[in-house]
Amino acid sequence: METTIKKTTQSALPLPQSTRKLSVKNTLIYAVLIIFSVINVYPIIWMIINSFKSEKEFAVNQFGLPRTLVIDNYIEAWGTANLGVLFKNSIFICLLATILTVLIGALASYFLARIEFKFKNALYTFFIFGMLIPIHATLVPMFILLKNLGLLNNPITLLFPYIAFHLPITIFILTSFMKAFPKDIEESAIIDGCGIFRIFWSIILPMSRPALATVIILNFIYNWNEFSFALVLLNDPALQTLPLGLASFAGQFTVNYGAQMAGLTMSMIPIIIFYLFLEKEIVNGMTAGAVKG
Amino acid sequence: MQLTGKSKAALIIGLLPAFLIYTVFAIYPIIQSFYYSFMEWDGFSEMEFIGLQNFENLFQDPLFWNSVGNNIFVVIASVFGQIPIALFIALLLNRKIKGLKIFRTIGFLPVVLSTVVISLTWSLIYNTKDGMINEILRAVGLDFLAQNWLGDTKWSMVAVCITVIWQFVGLYLIIFLAALQNIPEEVMEAAKMDGASEWVTTWKITIPMIWDTVIVAIILCISGSLRTFDLIYVMTHGGPSHSTDVMALYMFNETFSNLQYGYGSAVSVFIFFFSLILIGIVKKVLGQKFI
Repeated sequence: METTIKKTTQSALPLPQSTRKLSVKNTLIYAVLIIFSVINVYPIIWMIINSFKSEKEFAVNQFGLPRTLVIDNYIEAWGTANLGVLFKNSIFICLLATILTVLIGALASYFLARIEFKFKNALYTFFIFGMLIPIHATLVPMFILLKNLGLLNNPITLLFPYIAFHLPITIFILTSFMKAFPKDIEESAIIDGCGIFRIFWSIILPMSRPALATVIILNFIYNWNEFSFALVLLNDPALQTLPLGLASFAGQFTVNYGAQMAGLTMSMIPIIIFYLFLEKEIVNGMTAGAVKG
Repeated sequence: MQLTGKSKAALIIGLLPAFLIYTVFAIYPIIQSFYYSFMEWDGFSEMEFIGLQNFENLFQDPLFWNSVGNNIFVVIASVFGQIPIALFIALLLNRKIKGLKIFRTIGFLPVVLSTVVISLTWSLIYNTKDGMINEILRAVGLDFLAQNWLGDTKWSMVAVCITVIWQFVGLYLIIFLAALQNIPEEVMEAAKMDGASEWVTTWKITIPMIWDTVIVAIILCISGSLRTFDLIYVMTHGGPSHSTDVMALYMFNETFSNLQYGYGSAVSVFIFFFSLILIGIVKKVLGQKFI
């Protein structure tokens, strides 16, 4: 109580010109930032709140909190959109593609960064070129290729494009990181009798941990959100990933907004939690991926 | 490290997996699409070599040029929407400010969400009957401004672009913020000592110092928005009456809906070169190395 009184008396005193100007400016800055933040986050909050309303309530009370929490939307979305299956497929393909991309990419990066051999720079440029390929230009030939290989509509179909198109950025980030290690690391290891793969596995890989974290997160988020390849290469509803399943689910549910919002909310929550816990790593990974891609 | 005799095998074992999968599934498809682009093919029956006929048809199709135009519209809207907003907010955030972390967290949030989720959410927001925007307009008595945002050819493209801008402002915001925080403090101190106002410092010192980053962001923004597909596929499917059709979507429809694999491949080839050339030109103009 005392402090509030003190504060009011303080602000009642005439402020020096510059301070007053400053506080006006600061208020304006905060106002702009708050407006920006509201625009950024409100669409998501709007959807989450409304996913708990019945259709009737949504029509009349869109901006308030739900009067009663209706979970029917969630039951309906989970059942009709087959969210369980979608989650399972997405997790399976994301984990597998991420692990393989990072392993294969790290191994290649090790040779590209640490070992001298002919055509090394040419090979590196060849890999990095992949970052310039617009993936949509490959949708048609990719479809034909996988069809000819009999790999359409297979649980592992998406592995091939996902690994191939994320190797360039993975190799780029890991190679530039590994290049920075001092030269004598391998030399002393060789004197100790370590083989080349041993050096990779026990020395280089552990030393690359920060860059590995970056590429793991980057790959995971890219794969988790990927839509185009899934759309073209998978027809079987049992194999669909989350983005694909949601898109076709929303197509059937043009009328029932509640269920649609519930489905979207459920698919969004894991990634938002993931983001809030690993914010620093995710932000670093995605900005590095973007700037270098 | 130098390699000798036996370890040549190690080299091959180490590089082969990456080389094979990348070549077969990223490079080979591009080469294949060149080949298919000279063929008439429905994907099932025999291919027929028709030379440049596909490209001739392509360049004569007004719907194709419509999609190119829309694509360029998305690129321009992204560059002039995302970059200035992101830079402005980043400049506001680049000071001792309470809640910086929260503003940053919220700012970047849309970037981690999947495009499909964003598209579906914004489709609901734009919905004519119960969408958020029309509800707000009605609530403040501006009923006459309520529109069928995605269903009206006048508004569809604008609506789509607003969503694109919303999705990626955060990415550039964080990139700019990182660059701003790398400016050595002494530079700012010196400017302050000389009595330069914040306005002057911003224009004469801060922005020139992060200009390289701004260029990188512009290039990123162009190449990213050139690839817009998912968002429009989900939100409007290119409609109404092709008003939001973009190149990748045109290609998708020609190939998979009209079963013209050869023709679709010709569009792929066009997209491939169009992207490379456009990014090449922009990099050249803005003074950056191509790769």
